[in-house]
Amino acid sequence: MSNTIILTSSDNVEIPVDREVAERSILIKNMLEDVGDAAANEPIPIPNVNEAVLKKVIEWCVHHKGDPPAAADDETESRKRTTEIDEWDQKFMQVDQEMLFEIILAANYLDIKALLDVGCKTVANMIKGKSPEEIRKTFNITNDFTPEEEEQIRRENEWAEE
Amino acid sequence: MPKRPREDVDDLSRPAKRSRFSSFDKISPLSDELLLRIFSNLPISTLALCQRISHRFYDIAGDSQLWKSAYYTRFVRPRASRIPGIRDHGSTAGSLQYSSKVSRWLDDHELVKSGSQTNWKRQYKLRHNWSRGSCDVREIQVAERPCAPPLLVRLHQGIVFTVDLTCGLRAWTVKGNHKLLAIVALRRGTPDGPGNIAPTSMGVDVQDSNPDLVNVAIGFEDGQFSIYALKKSAGKFIHRFSHAPSSAGMISAIAFAAPYLLAMTEGQLLSLYRFSLDSAQQPELRMEAPHLLCSLQSHTVWPPLSLSLRPSSQNILASIAYALPTYPSGWSVGLQELRLTLDGEIKESRIASAVEQGFQSLSMSSAAASFSSTLTDQMPSKPTSLSYSHPYLLASRPDNTLTLYLVTSTMDSLSIGSGTRLWGHTSSVSSAHVGGRGKAVSVSSRGDDLRIWELEGGTASASMRRRLATGEMSIRIRPDTANGIAISGETPLRGQTYARQFELRHLVGCGAEDAYMSRGWVGFDDEKVVVLQDRSHEGQALVVYDFT
Repeated sequence: MSNTIILTSSDNVEIPVDREVAERSILIKNMLEDVGDAAANEPIPIPNVNEAVLKKVIEWCVHHKGDPPAAADDETESRKRTTEIDEWDQKFMQVDQEMLFEIILAANYLDIKALLDVGCKTVANMIKGKSPEEIRKTFNITNDFTPEEEEQIRRENEWAEE
Repeated sequence: MPKRPREDVDDLSRPAKRSRFSSFDKISPLSDELLLRIFSNLPISTLALCQRISHRFYDIAGDSQLWKSAYYTRFVRPRASRIPGIRDHGSTAGSLQYSSKVSRWLDDHELVKSGSQTNWKRQYKLRHNWSRGSCDVREIQVAERPCAPPLLVRLHQGIVFTVDLTCGLRAWTVKGNHKLLAIVALRRGTPDGPGNIAPTSMGVDVQDSNPDLVNVAIGFEDGQFSIYALKKSAGKFIHRFSHAPSSAGMISAIAFAAPYLLAMTEGQLLSLYRFSLDSAQQPELRMEAPHLLCSLQSHTVWPPLSLSLRPSSQNILASIAYALPTYPSGWSVGLQELRLTLDGEIKESRIASAVEQGFQSLSMSSAAASFSSTLTDQMPSKPTSLSYSHPYLLASRPDNTLTLYLVTSTMDSLSIGSGTRLWGHTSSVSSAHVGGRGKAVSVSSRGDDLRIWELEGGTASASMRRRLATGEMSIRIRPDTANGIAISGETPLRGQTYARQFELRHLVGCGAEDAYMSRGWVGFDDEKVVVLQDRSHEGQALVVYDFT
């Protein structure tokens, strides 16, 4: 059985990667199990992820190769560590927003839960501590409320302010 | 790639450049699932802010599942880990799967049962406001002038029932706009009887088999009792039954759990009745005279007392919590528990009384013993009210304190733990009410100091001991709007004169005006606290503290 497999990005670039690394993606892992060893030498198409993003995702998977697999009850654990991100991951996520959301979408598509969590926490941290207007600016969100509507929601949620 | 010039930032109408840089909104097009995942990392204060950003954010940040998760993290998981035996389920609650048994324990089964119907954001807000003591205050004027004997009040699922001689039985909704739902003049059991026999006790049926009907039992000073049903849809009371006067005297306490009724008279005669179940065949919900299942004479039960009735499929559990004089250490509390078959045969009768401080067992730590020895200097005074909601037995006292007792009831034994004094009030406490979750509300006799207590798990847990030591057991209710809480401070309390339902009519008869204090009554449900306040010469009002 081969220890290296080939992934083909959406822009048709073939990227060799350790099988162990690639199997951080539950999608790829299941796919490899389904096709069996015979077909494992064929390139695996990843039609939703371009080369730049796929390389970034693989970089993350290489660094986290040794991590224990995510436990089934990861949900509570991750909730506890809310928005705490380890240092390497923080650096890794210092990318432009385009790339950040591409990574999130890729992690979601490839089913790499830990990476998805890191991405979501990074975005959450960009939201925290900002005013609504600052959040809109940060993400280029159009305000589709009238001032009256926004004021009404502000009053409705006043109780939750810290 | 060069960064965009600064002036582009505000110009959203500018057409897309060939640059792939993020001049577009990349976050709003994400799937609901991904946005939820991002938002699940945010505290509720930020979620509330996010709702102001756009319609898309408003919907996602207001998602019930997010608030449900926050609700469980903040309010349920800490409790689940406090209650022994369901610790293991704590993580289950986190992943939002609840066993019905646990949620029943946690008293949230109504919420979980309602499923997607439950507005979790609203529930979160409710609990949040309770924890801070912040609420709106409104008033219902219930009497133009002080009535004698005083008004009796009960709160049941958002409906306040009041009964008095002048106005009869009334029901008010305290949801939304407070309004009178129904009113009925008190009907006499004997048509030719005197018309001025005062109601002395009231009990609301705790078994709600029919959501449209609420049964109310009223006891009178001549020993008779009546059953009324509030038909919510019709907005009226229906008289169902009146029992003849009894020679045993005034009914001082009454509890009703259809078809069973438990009444205690002034002469300390306890009677258990059962109504016929097929009352549906009767026109106009009339009920036939109940069977007297059993009757017991007590010699040790002192007011104030708290009656409760818990029927199950096999037996009926009746309990009477009462004040107990002990010498020389002052007043303690006692509890009698009767287990009866469905036919009223007494299977078991058990009595327990609390070990008062000063009689500590040797197993107590020396620190605790020395702590309590200082207490014996001031002997426990007679409770002003007792509230029992298993396993919590809470006594309010005129010496500015409450005492919490934990009741242990097993197949083999019934016992009451030694009381723990709860400090927080700065004046005499006239009434307290404890709910099944250990939440309690107490009110000072002037009605100006209202406190919420979280007593779940008793005082054994480390966190509870810490709060006890730092005096952070309770939260004072701070209404958001101060209008309407005129505090009648001009009638100072006279020493030890405090309200006791029984004695009120005598006191009033003697013209002891400022001793006449019915304003002590306090009750609460999930959303409201209702306090009956007396305005010396201006009558009485129900003050509704709304936490929604």
